[in-house]
This record gives sequence, C-alpha cells and structure tokens, in this order.
Amino acid sequence: MDATPSHEAPAPAGASRPFWRGARAALSTPGLVLFGSFTGFGAMTHDFGWPIWIAALSTVLIWAAPAQLVLAGALASGAGIAAASLAVTISAVRLLPMVVSILPVLRSDRTSLGARLLAAHYVAVTAWFEGLRRTPALDRESRMPFFLGLANGLVVGSTIATVAGHAAAGLLPAALSIGLLGLTPIYFLLSLERGASGLGERLAIGFGLVLAPLIATVSPRFDLLWTGIIGGTIAFAIDRAARRRRSAA
Amino acid sequence: MTPHDAGFLLLAVIAAFFANEIWRALGVVLSARLDEDGALFAWVRMVATALVAGLVAKLVLSPSGGFALAPLWLRLGSAGVGIAAYTLGRRSLALGVAAAEVALVLGVVALGA
Repeated sequence: MDATPSHEAPAPAGASRPFWRGARAALSTPGLVLFGSFTGFGAMTHDFGWPIWIAALSTVLIWAAPAQLVLAGALASGAGIAAASLAVTISAVRLLPMVVSILPVLRSDRTSLGARLLAAHYVAVTAWFEGLRRTPALDRESRMPFFLGLANGLVVGSTIATVAGHAAAGLLPAALSIGLLGLTPIYFLLSLERGASGLGERLAIGFGLVLAPLIATVSPRFDLLWTGIIGGTIAFAIDRAARRRRSAA
Repeated sequence: MTPHDAGFLLLAVIAAFFANEIWRALGVVLSARLDEDGALFAWVRMVATALVAGLVAKLVLSPSGGFALAPLWLRLGSAGVGIAAYTLGRRSLALGVAAAEVALVLGVVALGA
C-alpha cells in the first residue's frame, strides 16, 4: 500500500500528506454542489456584464458566495461602491461566529497568528461545514493542513466553475442557462437549512424569506439590512422565550 | 441596468474583499475571548441567516437578468420541488438542488423558451 517508488522523494512527515488528503476531500458531494453553484454565479455575472476575469477574481479574493452575490446584485441595481460594500459587510457578519467556532478545532498550541488569519480567510459555508465535520477525527497536528488542503481545493474548483459558468452563459441553450441562474438561490436556501442549529435559526430563515419582499417595497436600498436585523431579532426573541419556558418547566 | 467598466468593477471587488474579510479577522481576534454559545453570537448568527434568506427570496421573486425569463410560478414551483426532495431525501443538499434544477429546466423547455 505504502510502497513508495524509490526514485520519488520520501513523503515528508510534516504537513503535506494531510494537505493533499484535504484537497481530495474537496471533491465530495458538498464540494460538487458548491462548484455547481459557482457555475451559476459565473453565468449571472455574464448576465450583469462583468468581464470574465473580474468574476474569477471575485471568487479567489472574496471567497464567499453570498457576499459575491450581494455585491453583483447591488451593483446591478445601481448602488455605488460604498453602498455595495455596506451590503457585503452585513452579509459577511455571519463569518465571524463561523471563524470563532472552527478555530479552536483547527489550531494547536503552536499555531501562529498568521496561520490563524490564513485559516480564517478560507472560512465560508461549505469549507466551514466540511471542515468541522471531518477534522475532529484527525490528530491535532494534521487538522490545519487538512483544512487548508480542503479549502484550497474548494477555491480552485470554484474558480474554474465561475469561469466555466461565465463562458457557458452565452453559449448554452436558454433552458440550461436559466437553469444555471436558478442554482444559486436553491443552493443557498437548502444549505442555510442544513447549517441551521436550533429553532431560532430556522425561524430566521422563514422570517428572512417573508420579510424581504415586504421590506423591499418600503426601503429598496437597505432592504437586506433591515430584513436581517428585524427578522433575526424576532427569531432571537422567540428562541430565547422558548428556552426560558423549557428551563422553567 | 448599465454595464460598469472594468476599473469600477475591480475597485468594487477589492472594496468588497475588505468589507468581507474584516469579519474573518475579527473572528480570529475574538475567538480567544468570546463565548460562541453566548447570546450575542446567537443573535448575530440569526441576523445573518435572515439576511441571506432575504437575499434568496429577492433572487427568486424579483430576479434581474436571465432568471426572470422563467415565469414566477416556475421559479417558485421548482424551488418547492427542491425543498420537497430535500425533505424527503433526509436533508440531502445534492438531491434537493438536483430536483429543483430538473424541474426548472424541464419547465422552461416545456414552455418552449
């Protein structure tokens, strides 16, 4: 099994083995669904008139599908850079608790601040979800390289998918390119549900879905911000009340 | 919808990178101190969840661009098919997304687009 041919360099005992195992793990079902979703994003940016390299750069650099989508949507509806960035930063708040919850799993005593910042950069829904699911079974030293391999695999695949979606959007028959554009919303909705823990977050999904179209008629520019704050706060209040009742009972 | 020039888009992407990355960096700084089971985090997560769900509703109800070529009932119906398949398939993301896609593409073909 492990008979390495003699002309190859001996496998380094350090980080490279778990890194490549992680990279291979990027080709799992959640990874493939993510690639499909980025194909949809690429097609959407074609629709919005983005050059293909801007679309690819946004995936490499921003690396958060909701933020990219919020950016594209805001710019397309006429927002300036400041307003679009504000909407992006609001959509990205949820990255903070994700980083906070995964870092204690990934790091060991020797993990430097730089390595922690690097790992945090790769935190996005799919990498976070798969990282939290797979790394606790590994020994502590292997977790960080495994996660970096996984995340880099996801970034590379998603960037290729973005480019492919952008290129395909102009060439595909209408039915298929409409299908590509429809991928993102259903993927987001289902992965929100998949990642939701507890009553409050499920309620937040429901309130978000219902409130957004209502609030959009009142405040079209900051509708997502208000939807998040109002919907999230109501969900939070109900969740807390339910908890108190349970602990009182 | 006015197409933007590449320089404007490049600036917008870089600004969005910083707007996005700041929360990751803050997460690193705070991860040593903040309680991830605390009420503040629970609230932040719920606000973010509602915001992204709101984005989904907007994308389906009032899409800009090609997705609008599919009629509203088909956009909602295919999402419904996806949710049903996801629920019946023991919360399988792949199954839900695939079912919604098949419904959407077949629907568009049937309408003769």
